[in-house]
Amino acid sequence: MNRREFLKNAVVLTNAAAFGEMTSGAQRASVPCPVTLLPMPDYGRDMEKEIAAIMAGDGLALKGKKVLLKPNFVEAHPERPINTNPSVIAGVAHACLRLGAAQVIVGEASGHRRDPWFSVLNPSLRSILDKKVRCVDLNHGDAVAVPNKGGLTGLPHFYLARPVAEADVLISLPKMKTHHWVGVTLCLKNLFGVLPGIYYGWPKNLLHLRGIERSILDLARTVKVHYSIIDGVIGMEGDGPIMGKAKPVGVLVLSPFPLAADSTAARLMGFDPQKIFYLVQAGRFLPGLRQQDVVIRGERPARFAAQFDCLEEFKKMRGGPFF
Amino acid sequence: MPPTTNPDLAPLIGRLTSFFLPAAGVPYYKGGGPSAEPTFLAVLALFASGVPAERTKPLLDWAQKLQNPDGSVGVDPEHRDQGVWLTAQAAIAFHHYGLNENLKRAQDFLLSLRSVTVANNPRLKQDNTLAGWPWVPGTFGWVEPTAWSLIVLHLSGQAGHPRAVEGRKLLLDRRIPSGGWNYGNPSLDDKELLPFWDTTGLALAALCGQADIDRLRPSLDLVEKRQDKIESLCGLAWAVICLQAYGKEASRLRTRLRNLMGSLAEENFHAGNFALGLIALSEKKVFIP
Repeated sequence: MNRREFLKNAVVLTNAAAFGEMTSGAQRASVPCPVTLLPMPDYGRDMEKEIAAIMAGDGLALKGKKVLLKPNFVEAHPERPINTNPSVIAGVAHACLRLGAAQVIVGEASGHRRDPWFSVLNPSLRSILDKKVRCVDLNHGDAVAVPNKGGLTGLPHFYLARPVAEADVLISLPKMKTHHWVGVTLCLKNLFGVLPGIYYGWPKNLLHLRGIERSILDLARTVKVHYSIIDGVIGMEGDGPIMGKAKPVGVLVLSPFPLAADSTAARLMGFDPQKIFYLVQAGRFLPGLRQQDVVIRGERPARFAAQFDCLEEFKKMRGGPFF
Repeated sequence: MPPTTNPDLAPLIGRLTSFFLPAAGVPYYKGGGPSAEPTFLAVLALFASGVPAERTKPLLDWAQKLQNPDGSVGVDPEHRDQGVWLTAQAAIAFHHYGLNENLKRAQDFLLSLRSVTVANNPRLKQDNTLAGWPWVPGTFGWVEPTAWSLIVLHLSGQAGHPRAVEGRKLLLDRRIPSGGWNYGNPSLDDKELLPFWDTTGLALAALCGQADIDRLRPSLDLVEKRQDKIESLCGLAWAVICLQAYGKEASRLRTRLRNLMGSLAEENFHAGNFALGLIALSEKKVFIP
């Protein structure tokens, strides 16, 4: 969908006030947003201590908290890096325990696979997690209706999986990938997976019909993400998020600001976040879109800068060099 | 009447019934509230296993109360208007227990529930003008809700209904050329999508006896020849159900399924999938007329 189609549909589905808010006004005022680039050349290295140190340095307080880690599981394909790697999930889960979290849950409502064996209940994940970490299939179970704070989709509520609604801290753990409908899929797009499939189906076609970008924005307004860690160790380029090819980048992108994590990851992928429509719109209510708002820590970003191959229609989103 | 209880299944039935909630209904996972799907599948598993009807009655009563005035059935008592694709599973349970008034209302609702159609898209080699059943009213038709609804129509003698005819066309249209079904689209930009064991088994069960076997052979061959690759409870259950439906050898898969169910860790215990496993092991064709 291009910007014109987005706005045309928004007229149909939203009230005039929301539409006005979408099309006028400046970006959110500048807030310095730390983003840390942690080198991780492969998945064989245990990153628990480094991740814990960065999260603590970013002021993420987990002591006594109920933490939900939201990885990205779409489909299982042996030759394609579609899902957040279990090693990254384990590293973050164990870092949360190290920081004193009372409960750590790895939860996902996989968008394509209804069988939880292909998602968070896979033995390959369970076998490397501490026994104190629980794996929860968010597709099947209780949900809580929460008001949609965005209003762009016209949906009055979102039905959040109960563990999401009850978590004190939500950490988004997406994969760094291109996306054949919206250009890139990172932390904000990863929010689709907090909605149970028994309510929304496989795929979550209701959100597609209401507009993927509008749905991302409504969810970003409704669900608070407290921390984001993007698995860019091996990303996906080309026709992501399932049909693309592996793109090794060798980095984890960490930030308390989901849009700052997304915009930085987009720049590392060779895209200009100010040309990615839903990121630009998210910049109206979340900090971290503009490069001058991001404070990069850790490794030099130039070390990881890449040019992700993408579908022809998204080549206009490319930009840079940024670093 | 339900068949005689299979004593070999007794420990597995005991494990499933231990998940039943005191106030009726079955949760997906331990600690959850009662949900429609695991409750309906548990009802069907008890039926298929020959458990006396009085043990199923509290679940059936719960299911009947969950039905809305328009005949639809939603995900749970707190969200009765959501997930109404589950009406098909309720209808199958109503059918087997002779709850004809509930069945009729559920059928009427299903016949009123029609997926939206759109113009064909050259990126997707499929016929988007065919209507089946959606997950959510007002959205497209997908393999699983279409297959469940077709099973209801076939079981209740309505295989010739125009909606059933069109629904079967949709399922056949969504076959992956080399075999099996993804959740809905067979390919994207000329690249075949991956077949899934659960949707493949369910679609084959829904089409059993209702479609030209030659058109189903690549999918049946896929399940038969690649059965060693199936590892999940849900995948094994659907593979056994569909192979048995077509009179194919399934003894090795049955053994693997039984072993997996017998050793399933508590946190992996999905009551709906466990019930599907029991249905598969019972050898009763609860999804086929």
